Amino acid sequence: MIEQLPIINLILLLTTALVIPLFKKQRFMVTLILSFVVLFIVWLSALYLLYHVNTTGAFYYRFGGYSPTIGLELLINPFSALFTFFVITLLMIIFIYSTADASDGIHEREYGRYYILMFILLFAMFGIIYTNDLFNTYVFMEILSITTCAIISIKRKKKNYAAAFRYVMLNEMGSLSYLFGVALLYMVTGYTNIELVFQGVQDVWVIYPTNIIIAAIFMIVGLGLKAAIFPLHIWLPDAHSAAPSSSSAILSAIVVKVYLIILVKVLFSVFGITIIEALHIPSLLMVIGAVGIVMGSFFAIAQHDIKRMLGYSSVAQIGYIVLGIGLASSLGLRIAFYHVFSHGIMKSVLFLSVGAVIYQRNLRKVTAYNGIGYMMPLSIGMFTLAALGMIGIPLTSGFISKFNLGIAALDGGQGIYIIILVVSGILNAIYYLPIIIAAFLRENPENQIYVSKDKVPLLMIMPILILGAFIVIIGVYPAIIFDLVDSAVSTFSF
Amino acid sequence: MFQPKYKWYDNFTTLTGGLIILGAIILVYVLAGLNGSFGLNNPFERFTMLKTLSEFKWMPLLIIFTPAVGGGIQLFFSRKTCYSRDTVVIVMSFSTILMTLLMYPTALDGGQLLSFPGFLGLGLSLKVDMLSLVMLLITSILWFLVMVYAHAYMIKEKRCNRFFFFMALTYSSVLGTLVSADLLTMFLFFEMMTITSYMLVTHGQKEESYSAGYNYIFMGLLGGFAIFVALVLMVVYVGDLSFTSAIVALQATGSIRYWIIGLLVMGFGIKAGMAPVHVWLPRAHPVAPTPASALLSGIMIKVGAYGVLRVATSYYFPVKNTVDSRFDPIWLTSETIGFSIIWLGMITMAIGVFLALQQSNIKRMLAYHSISQMGYIVMGIGVALYLGYYGAMGFAGSLYHIINHALFKSLLFMVAGSVYLHTRENDMYKLGGLWRKLPLSATVALIAALGISGIPLFNGFVSKTILHHGIVEAYEYGHASFRYAEWIFIVISAGTVCSFIKLYYYVFLGKMPDIYKSIKPKLNSLDVSMAAIAMMILFIGLNPSLILDLFIIPELRVISYDPQFINTYIVGMSVFTVSDMSIMVPIVILGFLIFIAGTKFHLFHLKLPGWLRIEYIFFYPSFHLMRGACRLLYGDQCPIDKKEYFKMDIKHNYDVGFLDRFVVLSHMFDKRFEKKIINSDALIYTILITLVIIIMMFV
Repeated sequence: MIEQLPIINLILLLTTALVIPLFKKQRFMVTLILSFVVLFIVWLSALYLLYHVNTTGAFYYRFGGYSPTIGLELLINPFSALFTFFVITLLMIIFIYSTADASDGIHEREYGRYYILMFILLFAMFGIIYTNDLFNTYVFMEILSITTCAIISIKRKKKNYAAAFRYVMLNEMGSLSYLFGVALLYMVTGYTNIELVFQGVQDVWVIYPTNIIIAAIFMIVGLGLKAAIFPLHIWLPDAHSAAPSSSSAILSAIVVKVYLIILVKVLFSVFGITIIEALHIPSLLMVIGAVGIVMGSFFAIAQHDIKRMLGYSSVAQIGYIVLGIGLASSLGLRIAFYHVFSHGIMKSVLFLSVGAVIYQRNLRKVTAYNGIGYMMPLSIGMFTLAALGMIGIPLTSGFISKFNLGIAALDGGQGIYIIILVVSGILNAIYYLPIIIAAFLRENPENQIYVSKDKVPLLMIMPILILGAFIVIIGVYPAIIFDLVDSAVSTFSF
Repeated sequence: MFQPKYKWYDNFTTLTGGLIILGAIILVYVLAGLNGSFGLNNPFERFTMLKTLSEFKWMPLLIIFTPAVGGGIQLFFSRKTCYSRDTVVIVMSFSTILMTLLMYPTALDGGQLLSFPGFLGLGLSLKVDMLSLVMLLITSILWFLVMVYAHAYMIKEKRCNRFFFFMALTYSSVLGTLVSADLLTMFLFFEMMTITSYMLVTHGQKEESYSAGYNYIFMGLLGGFAIFVALVLMVVYVGDLSFTSAIVALQATGSIRYWIIGLLVMGFGIKAGMAPVHVWLPRAHPVAPTPASALLSGIMIKVGAYGVLRVATSYYFPVKNTVDSRFDPIWLTSETIGFSIIWLGMITMAIGVFLALQQSNIKRMLAYHSISQMGYIVMGIGVALYLGYYGAMGFAGSLYHIINHALFKSLLFMVAGSVYLHTRENDMYKLGGLWRKLPLSATVALIAALGISGIPLFNGFVSKTILHHGIVEAYEYGHASFRYAEWIFIVISAGTVCSFIKLYYYVFLGKMPDIYKSIKPKLNSLDVSMAAIAMMILFIGLNPSLILDLFIIPELRVISYDPQFINTYIVGMSVFTVSDMSIMVPIVILGFLIFIAGTKFHLFHLKLPGWLRIEYIFFYPSFHLMRGACRLLYGDQCPIDKKEYFKMDIKHNYDVGFLDRFVVLSHMFDKRFEKKIINSDALIYTILITLVIIIMMFV
């Protein structure tokens, strides 16, 4: 039964997406309840799988019982179980938020479609994380990028179409680069199964180095384009700012991370550490990560639209993860994974609280936040918490990321990157602090000096509060995440 | 709707007066009992209940959480009246004094370690030893008295609920910094202090408070990041963050050990207002509401000094009883560090006094004096490190001066606040003759001024004498250049005297402007708290050995200083000797001379030429470079010349800070390149892939 759980999850998600249109005649509430029940069941099974693989060990699911040389294979190990759990947990919380805030620019007719897309998105992400096959990953990646494109363009505005078009074109470029790399690997090894490819690559590395180098470059750049690693971040700010708030949170916190997860898989499971180091990929990634950290923040400072600013901030934070991956050590990977969690939660809080502000006051300009803290103390309070986390103030998860990344960098003999961390902290402060200061310390137009309650639905404020609590919990007691992350890191060999 | 009725003689004055008297009785009883004076026994031995309470393990945690919980309760009460809210504040602050006193016996034994493994990854730990206890005691007493003051001061201000709430949070984080037993815990609370105290600095919500606050928070964050880097270096190179000797591991790291202490000194020094990084202080302290500036100047900058003292004397000192000579090579590191810290302290002292003499705003002048007095403390810390085994005098002096400066500086700020409250004027040249109208303020201001000037029988004299002994020892045992340091020390003390003659003369003496004739002051809790601090100044000035015997000497014995040296020079030390008191004569005379010369030749109104300002030196060339580059790029269309970038304009060079320029730069860059970058998507992809191929194929 447990062996069947991953595929049951996938089928359940896909079926839900297909079933939602059938409820078109019923009240919308039915769709929401059904969606939540499905999400909850999948969450429970992901939780159970996480527990299972951490106690009894990894297992495979083979479609139709074919051998891995010709068949498809899902690998459920601490790594994939952890990230599916992360994806479903975060998505479930954001789902609760979206039920109340679906009105953000989406036409009423489209509500149902939005949730269809959300389930297909989830299906694709689960598939990507579970699968142990390079070509299968490509298929899921295509599903993911097309669904994401649909989510971005759901608002039916000119701006959204432009952003979605750019998104889909660049992502196709990324996917095709990746496919090209897979094809080159298939050419020399004859397999697409990750473990078989790994062995094949090690064997043919001496005979066909050019093939493998070109494959590595195209796969990494392709994934980098999809993961918005710095010079390839071009599509991200427009796409994330155009999408509805809850989808911005999903895109920034989860979808982009999924590509980074594939990147980790490609680097350490497909090519292996020896080839990677022979190709200088780690040092390249570190430089790219560091440049991304600085430049992402630099562009974020200049933004007038708060959601664009948060998008650029994501570019900077992806730099942290890339830097952690580039250290190519278990310490570095550990902190990269931790930061996937940490940034996922913080960025969701930021997008969702900004979404709450847009919902209540319709403010999108960074200069318009004067005195808003008195009207929306909870939302802006959580925004402040997450922003302080971005700066790296202790008690938040951002500090733990920064601190451990510093230790990992120095431990790997790359002490220079500590300076990047400090610079990034200061830059983050430059663009987050004025908003917080304006929100709590400037006079607002209505001259309200006493704190009043947020006038947003409870279903919007609760997810923000839950995620805000997570920032503090995993910031104060990081061992909760680190224990899981450590077993995920141990599935890669260094 | 929430405006309370304002009465001069309110119940609050009675309550706080009673509490202060109660506190004084408890304090005197406990201290005298511990010291064995008046035939009193040690209260901890006499009452078993106190003994049991003092062994309560969770006390450090409790003391941190008391104000924070109080902050929560305050918010609950704040809807009703100011009175009940402030009662909560007062009771919470008072209870921290009692808790601190209760921790004395365990602190005397070196303190109990309370650790929380796993928190923040590496575990947190708390411990109250004698150094912490001294700081805790002065902090809690002063906080209590300032809170008494704050009630009457803030009653007319807007948004005082927020003020008191963040005051409580700041108090919690200050206490947390003081009781931490490792660098990570200290960093945690230190950062919390930066954030929470920001709200106090900007409380006024005027344009100048925003700019001062902006300065404050960015300098604070910079300091935090300096400590952060030191923390990372410590974890990787030493591994143990608890405040124990790490000199053996540090010596193996080569030059990294100087990086670590340099970063720590910079990080804590920013908060302490040390010389090159003091720039935020004279802006931030005056704009904060007076109770906050009293605490910022009285307590929070001391926390920075405490940080330096703590990390330097724990990490960089050998384990006690492992060395028995000051020529042991293990002292070399701390000697090098101490040498630079002494000179940093001297520079801080000089800059502070020199700029203080130029000020006309009372609070700004006091803020510059805070810098200068921090210089004394930093110099003492430098001596404590420089002389290594014999550095006990410097340590005692700086710790004593921390206590004394906390008292007189917060009292001076409170007097300034009281004057402001009655006259709405902060410019000392527009005031005068106020001693008739505000006799109590004038009296306590005199006491505080005599204290800060170091006149015998007042507290400043004690610590300045000990510091003077320290610097004299520094050239007797060490480098000859400290002979000049001693001269500077004397000149600066004279400058301090002059500065306070000036303040007192212009504010309280002289001719009173007519508009102030109608002032009718009445007794309220302002005066109660000011009088209480003045009494403490006198008390310490008259009994200088009490604090030495009870607090400082036990702490010195814990640190690996020469016990022989402590027994000979510090135990039973008398500051009232002819040679020590006679130093004050030339200082006072010199002070008077400077004052007379200054008023006669209008030296106090000197304005430094604009080109001496750091902003100017730094930005003038960079502005021209940027404009040149811009004209090369754009020709006549250069955006710097356009109005939207007025901030880059040369005329505003003084007002625009570094960060503003950076923001403008990023806006320019964004406007110019963002669209182009976005539109050249495929090009970027191609270039990147080509570059990477080239790198991987051929490198």
